[in-house]
Amino acid sequence: MKTAIYGIGNILMGDDGIGPAVVRYLESRLPADADVTLEDLGTPSLDLPNYLAGYDRVIFVDAVAVAAPPGSVRLFTRKEIIAVSPGIRVSPHEPSINDALIVMDFAGDAPSEVTLVGVVPETLEGGIELSDAVSRAIPAAAAAVMAELARNPNPQM
Amino acid sequence: MTRVVIDPITRIEGHLRIDVEVDQGHVQKAWASSTMFRGIEKILVGRDPREAWLFTQRFCGVCTTVHALASVRAVEDSLDLEIPLNAQYIRNLILIAHALHDHIVHFYHLSALDWVDVTQVLKADPKKASSIAESLSDWTGNSTKQMAAVKTRVKGLVDSGQLGPFAHGYWGHPAMKLAPEVNLIAVSHYLQALEYQRYSNQVVAMLGGKTPHIQNVAVGGVSNAINIDSSATLNVDRLVQMKVLLEKVIGFVQNVYVPDVCTVAGFYPEWFGYGKGVTNYLSVPDLPLDGKNTKFDLPGGFIPNGDLSKMIPITGQKDERWRKAVTEDSAHSWYKGGGPLHPWKGETDPNFSDWKEDGKYSWVKAPRYDGQPAQVGPLANVLVGYAAGNPLMVKWTDAALAKISTIANVKATPAMLHSTLGRHGARAVRTAVLGDLAMKHLALLTDNILKGDTTIYNKPEFPKGEIQGVGFHEAPRGTLSHWVVIDNGVIKNYQAVVPTTWNASPRDTSGAIGPYESSLLGTPIADQQHPLEVLRTIHSFDPCMACAVHMFDPSGNNVARVKVL
Repeated sequence: MKTAIYGIGNILMGDDGIGPAVVRYLESRLPADADVTLEDLGTPSLDLPNYLAGYDRVIFVDAVAVAAPPGSVRLFTRKEIIAVSPGIRVSPHEPSINDALIVMDFAGDAPSEVTLVGVVPETLEGGIELSDAVSRAIPAAAAAVMAELARNPNPQM
Repeated sequence: MTRVVIDPITRIEGHLRIDVEVDQGHVQKAWASSTMFRGIEKILVGRDPREAWLFTQRFCGVCTTVHALASVRAVEDSLDLEIPLNAQYIRNLILIAHALHDHIVHFYHLSALDWVDVTQVLKADPKKASSIAESLSDWTGNSTKQMAAVKTRVKGLVDSGQLGPFAHGYWGHPAMKLAPEVNLIAVSHYLQALEYQRYSNQVVAMLGGKTPHIQNVAVGGVSNAINIDSSATLNVDRLVQMKVLLEKVIGFVQNVYVPDVCTVAGFYPEWFGYGKGVTNYLSVPDLPLDGKNTKFDLPGGFIPNGDLSKMIPITGQKDERWRKAVTEDSAHSWYKGGGPLHPWKGETDPNFSDWKEDGKYSWVKAPRYDGQPAQVGPLANVLVGYAAGNPLMVKWTDAALAKISTIANVKATPAMLHSTLGRHGARAVRTAVLGDLAMKHLALLTDNILKGDTTIYNKPEFPKGEIQGVGFHEAPRGTLSHWVVIDNGVIKNYQAVVPTTWNASPRDTSGAIGPYESSLLGTPIADQQHPLEVLRTIHSFDPCMACAVHMFDPSGNNVARVKVL
């Protein structure tokens, strides 16, 4: 099962950089024999399908807008992600993970297993530092990613 | 009189807001505003100028390479640093490959659905669709079998009760006019475009080390080791692989994208009459051919009042008029200060208030050229190239106009390009021109390497005291410029004047309106609850303003909505 772990978010916009931060944290912690792609994709928008094509399983790490204390980690399934209907697009930045999966489902080449590990942000103001609450959530978010990976012990399948 | 507002629901995502005043079915007044503060240039103050590009390529998730290259060019300009030819060609190829990808994605995946009614596909005859498509080009992907398969796929989607990627379209809108078969062709090409733009992205990754954040750029050149015999470096094999990938993309552009734009134009000729807007056009020269940035493959210039005969060339980053002409005004923007400031003196101090149509109403500043608003983007690029007599621009523009003339049974002229459809047409023309130039620059790079030149980098040395530079790039969305002031080797001020700032500009001190605002005046609105016509014109500019934050919102509240007041 070809697997990718992608951090999504802007490292210049405070806690929006949580996805890339978890990727950096995992760089030295993934098992040496793990056959996975690990990448900070920034804010890829309409380019996202290019990074999903050819993968069976993708684990995203992103900031999420849910009512919970900053630093809370929440998991979303593929079904929950694509249940978010795309709206009217005004600029190319609006398409998100849900749009990419919906487009690829129509094209017939979407990854079948998708999980989003979401972290609730405290601040999205400009700046390259994470807030304390979100910074402290990095190990928990990384553990959630590892738990998802472990759900299939045979990456070669 | 009613007010129609297209507005993102949450301010946090910070997208584009459009307000129009509609009377007797037409737009009488318009306001464009950005709803999010993007003061991220401040992060650069106090940093090493050699590292600025690592930060600037995070400004925007769609235009990463674009901001990386404008940044190194700005720092190099401040040092008068000469760039090795290999580095120029490698950078040019990255910029071209990025633009090919970006323009294809814009047309098929962002804006084609403004013109294509997916539900009409169910009424299409695949055989007839195939024969129409085959009459338009030699593309081999237009068989009856392909069309039938796509129709089945769309039927599956409609039967499921979900329209998937097309759920946000305005189906059955009275402004939709394509024949069912043309709708089917468009959806078939939508799917094929997904595949073909990917090849272009692969070229960026091969040269840039990886995408979306390239790693091979440096102030002074690039870091791509060149050795024609080594498998770990840029070698003959890799050059051949890139040629194969680019040829596939160019085939798609010439045989699918350009004919599709001409076909859509042929069904909607009235849209050559809407969306004109500001007809001062600004485009900067790009694709340098020498190390000192004095010769370029894409000409630059400023066209006042749409008069191509009055085009004033911009010769390069050292052009004195260019260096003085650019200012930013914040009279109607949520910043302190008001009057025009040159970017080297630019300030980014927020001063937020409510949205006030006669006061401050946008986070975008109002850039001006010689004190006037200017439209930027592929249309400006093509018109400047056409005015300069650039052979590729003339060749592809004339070819597109001839094709539109045949399909629409009208005499299409360059004057019609000052319009919503003109922007789409010009983008397709530019993509075809860039396709030809991709082959040229790949040949230039290959020849230079085979001659034995492996130089890729000249080391920058920062002097004591203050220096300033400007780096520009004719990006997919138009003229981008980064302005840097460096003091004792450390960044003192940094301003990025981005393409969408020119086009989404609010009013300035004198009350002059920006290109989006101006382009909407007179636009007919058939159904105020579904202002498709406004989206058609705004999308034709390819807006790119607010990728600053990218958060997943499970409530779906991060999408735009329409309010009629």
